Amino acid sequence: MISLTSPVETWAHRWPAGLKLGLMSLATVALFATEDPAILGASAFGVALLYASAGARFARAGARQLWPLWPFLVLIALWHGLSGQVAAGVALTLRLLAAVALANFVTMTTRLSAMIEVAAVLLAPFRRLGLSTRALEISIALVIRFTPAIARKGGLLSEAWRARSRRRPGWQIVMPLAALAIDDADHVADALKARGGVLPIPDTDQKG
Amino acid sequence: MERSIALVALFAALIAGLGFIPKFTLAFGVPITAQSLGIMLCGTVLGARRGALAVILFLLLVALGLPLLAGGRGGLGVFASPTAGYLVAFPIAAFVTGWIVERWRGNLAVVGAVASVIGGIVVMNLIGAVGLSIVLGKTYVESLLLVTAFIPGDLIKAVLAGLITASLAKARPASVLSRA
Amino acid sequence: MAPVDRPDDLLRLEDLRVAHDGCDVLGPLTLDITARRTGIVGRNGSGKTTLARVVAGLQAPTAGRVTISGIDPAKDRRGALDRVGILFQNPDHQIIFPTVEEEITFGLRQQGRSKAEAAAAVTAILTRFDKLHWRAAATHSLSQGQKQLVCLMAVLVMGPRWIVLDEPFSGLDIATRLQLMRHMARIEARILMISHDPESFAGYDRVIWLEGGALREDGPAAPVLARFTAQMRHWGDADDLSHLAG
Repeated sequence: MISLTSPVETWAHRWPAGLKLGLMSLATVALFATEDPAILGASAFGVALLYASAGARFARAGARQLWPLWPFLVLIALWHGLSGQVAAGVALTLRLLAAVALANFVTMTTRLSAMIEVAAVLLAPFRRLGLSTRALEISIALVIRFTPAIARKGGLLSEAWRARSRRRPGWQIVMPLAALAIDDADHVADALKARGGVLPIPDTDQKG
Repeated sequence: MERSIALVALFAALIAGLGFIPKFTLAFGVPITAQSLGIMLCGTVLGARRGALAVILFLLLVALGLPLLAGGRGGLGVFASPTAGYLVAFPIAAFVTGWIVERWRGNLAVVGAVASVIGGIVVMNLIGAVGLSIVLGKTYVESLLLVTAFIPGDLIKAVLAGLITASLAKARPASVLSRA
Repeated sequence: MAPVDRPDDLLRLEDLRVAHDGCDVLGPLTLDITARRTGIVGRNGSGKTTLARVVAGLQAPTAGRVTISGIDPAKDRRGALDRVGILFQNPDHQIIFPTVEEEITFGLRQQGRSKAEAAAAVTAILTRFDKLHWRAAATHSLSQGQKQLVCLMAVLVMGPRWIVLDEPFSGLDIATRLQLMRHMARIEARILMISHDPESFAGYDRVIWLEGGALREDGPAAPVLARFTAQMRHWGDADDLSHLAG
């Protein structure tokens, strides 16, 4: 499956994922702690520099990912423009852009496997509470494997629908799609069971 | 155990899959996507605990950087955007929806729809609006007014969730874990 | 390649019965199987797939006992991992992971091998099948025959003493089928293969014919297959398609 990682390798790819996530969290807290348009403007400019340092192609891909925010920017512009609080509106816009772009930057420069490792480390304390990190790893792999399969089945179902109907299918295919997902779940449960199910793995990595 | 994991993972994938169904626009211009229908179904079909787990698993993969939200969005950025409150609300909405279906043993289509209204609309928007008010700098009441535009579409989805759950209970009775 | 003969490589079914929703689908069946290659034939609905699931331990019998190389496959799941592997009819139902490497690694990790050991074993099995370039391939992009081969490698790599094959060739073209058969002929483990195609049993020692969940015939492959084929032709002329089960 396509992930949102960058099309090009950048300097930031070589930074440890945990460090990037930590810095990003601190920066995000700081962004939401201030109202000062000057500080927020400087932050947004800094994030823009971050994207620029990774090259033009990377920066374009990053800009595309900010596009879904436009309805909110329009909303802020209208609201604050009409009520005359322009400075507050500018501050909000800068904070929104900086925070989202910074988080996207971390996502774009971190491989999925590195992210999963960080998640496993963060979730390790929950192991004492009985959370099976093994079950979690398997579940993550299952979702990655089945999302394209379900999307493809949705496509096949809507073709089967259109072959006998002049109208486009909508919600009508959700029920057969859910039924297919459930049948798949039964097969997957068998496939897991055939190879040992969710057995806890003995700690063999430490020895060798 | 294996079956629970498989169902939870496949419903997480189903939420993502529903994001690929093209959004349709209501008469007064509000776009609705099928993704929140997926959240409701997690509750009505899988029940409170497994339903919430499926949604959390879905969100975890979004956070890890997979473009699974409607419109191909994903990554950490969505958790800093104005709709972040809704992402927090997703698992709670699924839990409340599932909790109601597990306890109220009436006609599944009716119970499923009502549970989806309470969990998938009331709880969802009450929590989602908190996020909107923080990121957009509005008061909580102003934010709640903003989201009322989406309620007609959500009501349609809640009715669909009830109908779909009832027909699944007929087609695959063993899989409607909320009533198992 | 000659199989390593172990005295305990015995598949024993004792008064085995399986019922679904109170309706008997298999048995009572009592059999001892030790042959290197055993085929199971029968029509659709004769209980073949149920037998495969019970032997692989995916399902516990309603009554009676299954013992495979000394263990009960449904109860001792950990012990079952290196005794019996199963290849499903549809590889799409078997493949769990996004890439070939992860799919093959999974079973090894389940057996408690370290990451390094598992990686080495994956390389070994891919090399043996001359498919090293498949390592990072996305499983959903493979053809049906390629998927079936990945499933076979994922099962073989775990080194089971028995392999259960449930209609492994259905839906494959003739050339792909012949290639897969060639790969399977080289397998050291004992094979229990289900099929309704007599041609896929070339080189088999013993064939068991099930009909309506019960044993119809059991013996050396060639004569049983000949009588099975003749009976299928005879039934083919009749019309029993209209009977509904139950």
